[in-house]
Parts: sequence; structure tokens; C-alpha cells
Amino acid sequence: MEEVEENQEMKKVQQNPSSSEEEEEEELELGLSLGAKKFTSCNATSSKPTCRILTAKDFHPAGVGGPTSSASSSSSSVGSGGGKRAKPGPASPDGAGGSSQPPSSQMVVGWPPVKQFRMNSLFNLSREHPDQNSTKNSNATPAPNGEKTKEKEHIKEEEKKLGSRTTPFVKVKMDGDPIGRKIDLCALASYNALASALELMFQNPGLVSSSITKLKLLEESSEYKLTYEDKEGDWMLVGDVPWRMFVDTVKRLRIMRHCDDHALKPKFCSSNLSNKLLR
Amino acid sequence: MKVQSAMFYFPEEVIEHIFSFLTHHPDRNTVSTVCKAWYKIERLSRREVFVGNCYAIRPDRAAARFPGLRSLTLKGKPHFADFDLVPPDWGGLAGPWIEAMARSCPNLEELRMKRMVVSDESLELLVHAFPNFKALVLVSCEGFSTDGLAAVARSCKSLRELDLQENEIEDRGPRWLNSFPDMCTSLVSLNFACLKGEVNLKSLERLVCRSPNLKCLRLNRAVPVETLAKIMNQCPNLEDLGTGSLLADQFSEAYVSLISALQKCKKLRCLSGFWDASPLCLLAVYPICANLTGLNLSYAPTVQGQDFINLIQHCVKLLRLWVLDSVGDKGLAVVASACKELQELRVFPSDLFAAGPATVTEEGLVAISTGCPKLNSLLYFCHSMTNSALITVSKNCPNFTRFRLCILEPRKPDPATNEPLDEGFGAVVKTCKNLRRFSISGLLTDQVFYYIGKYAKALEMLSIAFAGDTDQGMTYVLNGCKNLRKLEIRDCPFGDGALLADVTKYETMRSLWMSSCDISLRGCKALATKMPSLNVEIINEWEAEMEENLNNGVAEVISNNNNKHINNGNDERKVEKLYVYRTVGGPRTDAPDFVWTL
Repeated sequence: MEEVEENQEMKKVQQNPSSSEEEEEEELELGLSLGAKKFTSCNATSSKPTCRILTAKDFHPAGVGGPTSSASSSSSSVGSGGGKRAKPGPASPDGAGGSSQPPSSQMVVGWPPVKQFRMNSLFNLSREHPDQNSTKNSNATPAPNGEKTKEKEHIKEEEKKLGSRTTPFVKVKMDGDPIGRKIDLCALASYNALASALELMFQNPGLVSSSITKLKLLEESSEYKLTYEDKEGDWMLVGDVPWRMFVDTVKRLRIMRHCDDHALKPKFCSSNLSNKLLR
Repeated sequence: MKVQSAMFYFPEEVIEHIFSFLTHHPDRNTVSTVCKAWYKIERLSRREVFVGNCYAIRPDRAAARFPGLRSLTLKGKPHFADFDLVPPDWGGLAGPWIEAMARSCPNLEELRMKRMVVSDESLELLVHAFPNFKALVLVSCEGFSTDGLAAVARSCKSLRELDLQENEIEDRGPRWLNSFPDMCTSLVSLNFACLKGEVNLKSLERLVCRSPNLKCLRLNRAVPVETLAKIMNQCPNLEDLGTGSLLADQFSEAYVSLISALQKCKKLRCLSGFWDASPLCLLAVYPICANLTGLNLSYAPTVQGQDFINLIQHCVKLLRLWVLDSVGDKGLAVVASACKELQELRVFPSDLFAAGPATVTEEGLVAISTGCPKLNSLLYFCHSMTNSALITVSKNCPNFTRFRLCILEPRKPDPATNEPLDEGFGAVVKTCKNLRRFSISGLLTDQVFYYIGKYAKALEMLSIAFAGDTDQGMTYVLNGCKNLRKLEIRDCPFGDGALLADVTKYETMRSLWMSSCDISLRGCKALATKMPSLNVEIINEWEAEMEENLNNGVAEVISNNNNKHINNGNDERKVEKLYVYRTVGGPRTDAPDFVWTL
């Protein structure tokens, strides 16, 4: 328990500088909590940070080695990486060679093991009642009509964000990383926000090579290309359509890598791929 | 000699009569293998069939074998499909089964399906093909809409049960409830709690009015308190109620009406729903709490803190409780002191982030185990767990048949000692001799699997995630758990060595699932070659498209068997997802592109 709280203190909510013009008010939310609290409620309770950008520290398994290690993980920054596992398995599931740490539970597809139906229901419920988990005064008698109309407005706002999606979560996979992640599209408002969120999600402190510190997902020159599968099943390059349209149509995301480095098990060459993708 | 010839002329009717006392499926399966005569008698007299994996047998074959079938239960997608690990369009189609039954089993009365894809057309066929159709139960299914429900409502002359649990149903309007004909008075159980849209309240009230046999009614969130009160006044014999939205004004007629209606329902034993429950409406529920045996608050984040405590302390006869972790250790302590008869507890996560005071820890679980020694079924999501807590819990409750513990952060060790949780989970398998279902989490080494293999002799289903060190872990389980039927593994370092350690074992099991492990295509091919009675299926959600994209312009027909992909390239590449199951039906004919059958 202690370690989890300590780690959470270390994570601060940050403003993303590159997206400042679009979303001054809004803070990035990678939080996939079922409570999915918006940033407004975050300010209210500092002891319970409920929305934050996950940093590289999230990818260190908590509490390994006792209080000393959590102290060291709190003081060390992105570069600490490495073998924080209690027992590094000889046959690790990472095909790419001892790279990423297990990501925190919220980011991994299918974890925690809660039925999709339940996750979606509770997610929707909590979006309607943003102040649900704060202590309520149980003496207050709610005026049902008034509350219902307010709720309905709030729901409509949220539904607009969701568009025709059934769920705000979208699977993301990066080449070379066997663990599938998921991201909450409703917590983001622009492509820049998406790119930053993904960068943080996949940023790999364990790799020595410094060329991978910034994925530069939206830049042409980058080693990485961010693509998505749309409703029709076609794979497209991210960034061509308006954000809202994108949210409406995206089924899942994939970060592709150039095939220069053989150790990363390339399956294709990016030049061919980009030709095919840009139809 | 004389005895032998007497046995030859043993009348079939007598054997059939004897078989009618055999209700347990395995027993019936056994007697059918004795001799041809018994096989024939058994199959013609069989009334219920349970198919745990819809791809284990072809629908036609099952339908042809049991023409007298009245009740069919089917399960489709693998369990991990619940957690989004199986791509959509994977399969599990109900259509072929319903069609086969329509051809061969006209007496079908009941159909129960879990994790299957059902279309509206299939539902139409269902109600037209079977004149005696009485009960439809759909759990975690998808692919249909309220139009399909309308078809069921409209055409079933004597529908007894329509039970929809946690399905994804496309909402096409509230008219479906109107489709129940006026002469339909046979309803005993109606559950539409998972429907997201509005319902026609007047139709609902009229339906309830003309259903004197109604015992179970679970409403969806769109039903307000006013309607609930009216309904409850109409059926004082209700035993199982799922409320709609429980939001009401204190001085409203609805609230007063609800209180009096609830008090009349002396037979009410099971409550669920509680959407938007205001503390006031909870007050109305107190008078009936003393007789409740089942309570599901897992969709009610509003019921927490003191409200929860006030409610639960009256529920002294409770057997089953489902809650959110927002009730906290404090809430669980009250449960422990009030609900002495508790047998099943499920604590779901309400918020994945906040490890604040309002969530549960090992303390809550220990309190429950101390206060509720009859506990035999547990599903518990928490942020941390200790070995000593698990050891205490298993000492207090040696009767667990189902034990599922999910520590939200993968690979998290015991925070008190920083050790893996091998000893804690080991204690559970050592003490609980009747353990049939087990899910483990947290930091775990091969040692826990050693314990499981050694002690969990009754284990039938095991779910593992982010655990183990070497192939030995999985091997311990395969070698030791004699009754294992389902094994599902994700994100563990088990490789081809483990997969191939005991290939004949898989024939004794229903299925094996492995995703994000360390197995290679070569290993899977080896398994497929050695064991032709198994379907060895690879799901490559991400790879398939990339291969497709590479085939520039040339229209490569991507067949189901995908030989081109399987044999093209490196066998050493890792397999994302593997699903292996025994079958007499051969390879699937309906497998999508991303499923490769080896």
C-alpha cells in the first residue's frame, strides 16, 4: 500500500507544452480509472491524485527491494530503467531483448480482468457523476427533476466526445513490444495530446540508445509512424482527418518502426508501407 | 447361461427408465459408451446437453445425435474474451447451432448461451422453429438488437424466461416490450437490466399485471421509481428484483408508494440494480434486508460509506454479496460482523488509480474470513495483499471452491516483506481441498506452481497472469492437476518447452489459452502435428494486416488456413495468442483471417 501511494506522489500532473495553444485548460489524462475523473475533481483532492500523466516510473514494478528501492526510484528519473524486477525471468516475454518494464495495470489490454461490459458501464456511470467518490452529504435530498436534467446535459456532453464509439478505450501496439496497451481517447483532445500520451506510454528508459527518447510520432522524419485502423478495416496514417472524425472512426492504433535495426524483428520496410498507407 | 440370455432381452423401456435418474452429464456420457444399445437408448432419451466449447463438436452432429433434446447450453468464446483479448469477429456464432437444432430437435424448449454471437435473424428462427420454446438465457453475448428481442417476445406462445445478463445489445427503441402479446401470461423470469435504452413503461406495467407467475424481474436503469412502485404493488410474490433507477424525492408519492410496496414483498430474497441509489431510497429497502440471501451492489457506486454500512448490517441471512471496493475495509468489516452465513463475495474495482482509504486491502479480506467461515467463493480486487493475510484467510475458510484474487498492479510483491506471494497462494491450495477454480496475481515465481501442481487436485480452472519464471512453472501444473479442464495464461515466460511438455494432457482438458507468452510458431506447429485431435489456433491480430499490406496489389486470397502466412518465414517468431482445444469437429470452417489453424 505504502509503495503505491509514494509512487503516486511522484507523479505530477503536467501541462504538455506542445499542445498549449489548443488546450490550455485541459490536462492530459492517461488515467484509465473506471472512475475516470476529469481534471476538475483532481484539483479538489490532492491526497488522491486521480488523473495524471504516467511517467516512466509507472513502468517500474512498485515496491521491489523495500522502502529503499522506492526511495531510489523516486529520486532516479527516466534513465534508471533496468532490472528492477525481483526475479528477472530468463525467458522474458519481451521479444525485443530485455527492454520494457511491465507497464502499470491501467495501460495493459485486458488488465485488470474486469468484464468489458462492466468496465464500460462503470466508466459511463462515473462520467455522469464526476463527484461520485467524494464524501457526499447523505442528508441532502436530491431534487430528482433538477438533477436529472443536469445529468442529461452532462451525459450529452460526454457522448459528444464519444461520438459513435461504444467504448472510449482503444488498443495500441508498438512494434517490438509484445504487450498491448490501451488508451482512453476521451481523455485527449488533439493529435498532439495523443502523440504525447503515446510517447509517455511507450517510452523506454531501459534502452541505452538515446535516439529513442523522443518518438516524434507526428513528424515525417521520425523513426516511428503512428497508424490506425478505421471502421472499414483500412490502415491509415494518423493525422489526416479532423480529430473528432478520427475519434469516431478509429478502431485501434499501431506504432510502426523502421526496419534498420534487425534486432527489432522488422516485418516490412517503412517506405513500402507508407506508400500503401497513403492512398 | 440363463442369466445371460435374460440380460439379452432386457427391455429398452426399463433401461430408459433407469437412465432417467441420471441427470449428471458425465454419467450420461459414460453410459452411452457401454454398448451400442445403450448408446442408442441414451441418445434418444437425452433431454439436456451442455456444450462447453461450441467448436468441440459440429452442430449438426450434436443435433442429430440427440433428437429429443429439450435444453441446450452453449459456450462460445474463450474466457479471456471478456477482457478484450480476443478480437471481434473471432467467432462463436450461434446461427449454425440454432439452424441445426431447427432441423433435428423440434422439441427444444430452453437455450442458454454464453459468450456467443447471436443475430436478430437467429432469434427470429429460434422462436419460429420451436413451438414449445420457453426459456432464453443469454450471458455476455452480442450481435443482436432490441428487434431480436421483439421477435422473441412476439412469437413465443408460452415464454417463461427471458434472461439477459451483461450482453451488448444494440438499442433500436423501446417498442420491443410492446411485442409481448396480450395473451402472454406465462412469464416467470424477465431480466433486461443490461439494456441501455429507454423502455415503454406502460407496456412494462401491463406486462407485469398479466404475469401472475412472475418470480424474477430485473429492470434496467431507464425504469424510474414511480414505475417500480407500481410494479411491486402488482407482484407481491416477487423473489428476485433488480431495481431500475433508485432516485426519488423524499416527499414524492413514488417514494411513499415504494416503501409500502416493498413491505408487501415478503418473498423477496435477491436484490440488484440500485442505479443512482439515493440514501433515501436505500432507507426504503431496510425492512426487507433481513430476509435477503442475495445482494448485488456492484453497479451502484453511490452506495458506499455509511450508506452501505447502514444497509448491510441488516442483511443477516445474506449468502451472496457483490460490491464495489469503494465500500472499503470498513464496509467489509461490517459485512463480516453482520453476514455470518455469507458464502460468496465479489469485490469489484471502482477506480483503478486511487489507493486511498476508500478501497480494500488485505485487512478487509482477513476480516471477512474471520467473520464468515462459510465463505466458499471469492472474487477480490485489491491494491495489495500479503502472504500472512492469505495464510490466515485459508485457515479461517478451508471450504473455498472458487478463489480469485486480483492484485491490480501486475507482479506486485508482498509489501510487508517484499517477497513473492507464493506462500500465500500455496496456503490456499494446501488447505482448500475442494478448490475448483483459482486465479492468482501479484509477484509469483515457479514455486507457486509447484504448490498448485502438488496440492490442487480438484482444480478444474486456473487463470494466470504475469507470473512464473521458467517453463517448469507451467509444467508443474500440467503434470500435477489431474482434473484440470481449463488453463488460461497471459504474459508469463512460458515457452515451447512448457507447451510441449505433456501434449496428451490437452486431450483431457477443454482448452488452453496462452497469450503474450514465450511460445513460437515452431512449438505450436509441433503441437498440432503431434495431436491431430486438437485444434491449435493462432490469433494474430496485429500481424495479419501487415502481411496483407505487403502483398502489393496482388489479390492474395487469404484462406482460413493461411498456409502462405504460416509457412512463409520464420518459425521462430513468437505467437501472440494461442488457443488450443480438443474437438471432434475438425478445424473450424468459420475462422476469420486472423485465426490460423495449424
